[in-house]
Amino acid sequence: MSEKTDVWQGTLALMVLKTLEALGPLHGYGIARRIEQTSENKLAINYGTIYPALVKLEQEGYIVSEWGASDNNRKAKYYKLTRAGRKRLAQETQKWETTTAILARFFVPPQES
Amino acid sequence: MQMRQLRGWLVRLLGLFDRARREREFAEELESHLAMHIEDNLRAGLSPEEARRRALVKLGGETLTKERTREQGGLPMLETLWQDLQFGLRMLWKNPGFSLIAVLALALGIGANTAIFSVVNAILLRPLPYAEPEQLVQIYEANTQQNYTRFAFSLANFVDHRDQQTGFEQVAAYLRRDVNLTGAGEPERVQVAVVSASFLPLLRVQPMLGRAFLAEEETPGKHRVVMLSHGLWQRRFGANPQIINQPITLGGNAFTVVGVLPPRFQFPDPFGANPLSDAAPKADALTPLAYDPKDLGDRGSHFLRVIGRLKPGVPPAQAEAELRAIAGRLEQQYPDRNKGWTVNVFGLQDEVTRAIRPALLLLLEAVGFVLLIACVNVSNLLLARAAVRQKEMAIRQALGAPRVRLLRQLLTESLLLALLGGMSGLALAHWAMRAFLAFSPSSVPRTDEIRLDGLALLFTFGITTLASALFGLLPALQTSKPDVQETLKEGGRSAGAGASRQRTRSLLVIAEVALSLLLLVGAGLMIRTFISYQRVNPGFRTDHLLTMKVALPAAKYREPQQLAAFFEQAIERIKALPGVQAVGAVSDLPLSADGGVFAFTIEGRPSVSAQDDPTAVWRAINPDFFRAMGMQLRRGRAFTAQDKPGAPEPVIVNEMLANRFWPGEDPIGKRIQIYDLEPRPWREIVGVVNDIKSAALNADPTPEIYAPFSQRPRSVMTLIVHTTLKPEQLTAAMRAAVQSLDKEQSVYRIRTMEQFFADAVAAPRATTFLLGALAITALLLAAVGVYGVMAYAVTQRTHEIGIRMALGARAGDVQRMVIKQGMTLTLVGVAAGLLASFGLTRLMKDLLFGVNATDSLTFVAVAALLLSAAMLACWIPARRATKVDPMIALRHE
Repeated sequence: MSEKTDVWQGTLALMVLKTLEALGPLHGYGIARRIEQTSENKLAINYGTIYPALVKLEQEGYIVSEWGASDNNRKAKYYKLTRAGRKRLAQETQKWETTTAILARFFVPPQES
Repeated sequence: MQMRQLRGWLVRLLGLFDRARREREFAEELESHLAMHIEDNLRAGLSPEEARRRALVKLGGETLTKERTREQGGLPMLETLWQDLQFGLRMLWKNPGFSLIAVLALALGIGANTAIFSVVNAILLRPLPYAEPEQLVQIYEANTQQNYTRFAFSLANFVDHRDQQTGFEQVAAYLRRDVNLTGAGEPERVQVAVVSASFLPLLRVQPMLGRAFLAEEETPGKHRVVMLSHGLWQRRFGANPQIINQPITLGGNAFTVVGVLPPRFQFPDPFGANPLSDAAPKADALTPLAYDPKDLGDRGSHFLRVIGRLKPGVPPAQAEAELRAIAGRLEQQYPDRNKGWTVNVFGLQDEVTRAIRPALLLLLEAVGFVLLIACVNVSNLLLARAAVRQKEMAIRQALGAPRVRLLRQLLTESLLLALLGGMSGLALAHWAMRAFLAFSPSSVPRTDEIRLDGLALLFTFGITTLASALFGLLPALQTSKPDVQETLKEGGRSAGAGASRQRTRSLLVIAEVALSLLLLVGAGLMIRTFISYQRVNPGFRTDHLLTMKVALPAAKYREPQQLAAFFEQAIERIKALPGVQAVGAVSDLPLSADGGVFAFTIEGRPSVSAQDDPTAVWRAINPDFFRAMGMQLRRGRAFTAQDKPGAPEPVIVNEMLANRFWPGEDPIGKRIQIYDLEPRPWREIVGVVNDIKSAALNADPTPEIYAPFSQRPRSVMTLIVHTTLKPEQLTAAMRAAVQSLDKEQSVYRIRTMEQFFADAVAAPRATTFLLGALAITALLLAAVGVYGVMAYAVTQRTHEIGIRMALGARAGDVQRMVIKQGMTLTLVGVAAGLLASFGLTRLMKDLLFGVNATDSLTFVAVAALLLSAAMLACWIPARRATKVDPMIALRHE
């Protein structure tokens, strides 16, 4: 385990979905890598933790998997969003934006008093 | 969102089944992941080793990742459970001796519990088969002075209570009688219940055909209507759907059928009131209770049973209080008849089961003990195995298995054992219940409701789980706590843990022995009770007697002379049969429920008040009655043919009556007057006969008065034949003799006196049998327990025995040592058990007869039995101990 922040399972799942939405179908390694990059390395995850999250997302039907070939013609398992996945992502995004908007009122910028 | 989660769980469940494929695929995926990462690292300029190392580190551990993903893909809890079960099964299979004994012990314990529970459930717990049975009550008249708590109602009192009460939706009265059913087919004796019109509506029972009675049919003249029971309708009338409005002949009178009762109708008679009554609680037919409201008869003549349905929300105590207030008013209004009389109300369900309840509760406790003993036994066996499995547990702990995991596995094994025991137990219960029903006396109520139903299965499952916790917890806790270091050392025998384990096992065995002793004492007391019943001298002959009841219908035999003539002729004909020594006739057979108690006054001792008059059982007999019954005339004379209608009416009394009212004097010549129907002449005592058991085998004799039946003929008499042949052989001939006088006349209640007595002790016999069976089981289990502990102790002490023998101890010394150890345990257990018995057997006092609850003979005998069994159980391991070869033992650790 690293000394940097651990990631909560549910948040990890959302990040996986968001990554797949942004980048399209991708393999586990790529997803993990991308999440780390997006957080500008502030999130330290063991890449291995991606896989249980992927399994769970697939069980719940938000993503599907398929074996394909990577850029170096290496066999890899690709994951892609389903319609349910997109919907879930949209819902969560909506929730996040609402929450942010409400909270913003509490943290009033200094010029408005 | 919930649907998605559900989908997730379902997929995980399915994932249990293709685990191999999942793992293979994931291995590939992980391989490709690492390959890609390594490539990237290489491209970043790292060395191949460094590239690989960093990739693995960043992954977070290959094994860990694989494990986490595998867990997510399936249901790890179920998987480990499945593993544990498989392992447990393998363990059981590899130790057949242990497994067999354990499963057998559990099967006995669980099976016995299920069987008894089903019986208790059907008889005591399950509500009566009427709508809202908790509202149903039985109402009795009571008189505290005369010690009556459950007395029948008189008609006048019933009518007054019925009209004045407000707490009940309905009340109804009934009485039962046997009546001749004649007409098409053989004359048959049927049981008729004469009931109020409100009877069926009170029970909320709808007739299957036709209708119930109308209120107006309670009037004489309109009352000759009848409802048939389903059984009678099928049996006698061929289930004829056109039976309504057809006439049938009951007791010589024509009755019109107005309805047929539904098939499962149960007559709510509180059977428990007199377990010796040989009438089963059923009714072949119902007729209305008809009376003339202007002539309610003698208020002091009590012959009705009364039931009631409380209004919703009215508690029984309140209704009872109201009825008592009414009784109080009646006392004021009719002081000569009702003084001292009040009312008692009891729940109907309680009443129906009253007599059998103590016995059933005793059995319930006994069976609980047996289960406890079985669990202790299995616990001990598991503890013995714990020592053997120490190494296995230590290694697993050393490899990182948390204690909880070990515990879970051990408990799963216990559960498996319990389940196997439970299933076998269920089969055993099924078989045992059939045996019980075969043995149970007909006086046990509701036996047709006894079966293994869903509730019994649930119960079985429940106690199986409980049992597994009971016997499995302690060994599991002990087993999963080995001292790892000590055990893994060479020759690991941690003396510390071993000693505490041995102590636990010893304590368990002591507990087993104590419980077993308790059960054996209970069974012993019941056996003595049963023997006491058998030994009771009823005061009359019990062998070579055949009894038979004949009831002449009033319609055909109106005049007393006709009744007397019929019986006298019947007696003559029967006397002429070959093998007949004497023929007696009596109005009520002793020990049957039929007797009537009458008050009487003694000449020269005028009656002070009706309540204080002496009472006695009054029977009408023929001259030969005493001879047939083998009774002894102590003084005076028997009746003769001279005592006929028109002559003075003599009586014969029994010794008890004579001694009570004329102590030290000769009662011959004294006169008494009996309060029966007019006229009431003064009757002279001409003889004194020995006492007999009249009411019950375990009750004291009561005062008895005998009168010649020819002077007061009855329509129902029991004929008793003393024969040198086997009594059953005379049945056909007797019946023929009676029917030769009147071919429409039926005879019934045909029993030999021996059968009659067997029925009287049937209830204690069944209880004794069951309790005895349970006690034997307990004894076996305890013996096996002692054996197990001693056998194990010998194995543990092989080393020590080897040393002793090498130092010169002989076989005898070794044997003695082992036996001493075992018997010490047993003695402590026996002592504890005796102490417990002393305190607890007083709880079964009501069931005992002829023996104290602390009877020393029983206690001593049972202790001796248990000690002998334990001695035997110790002897086998003791012998094995002597076979120890000191050379091998010394080398063995």
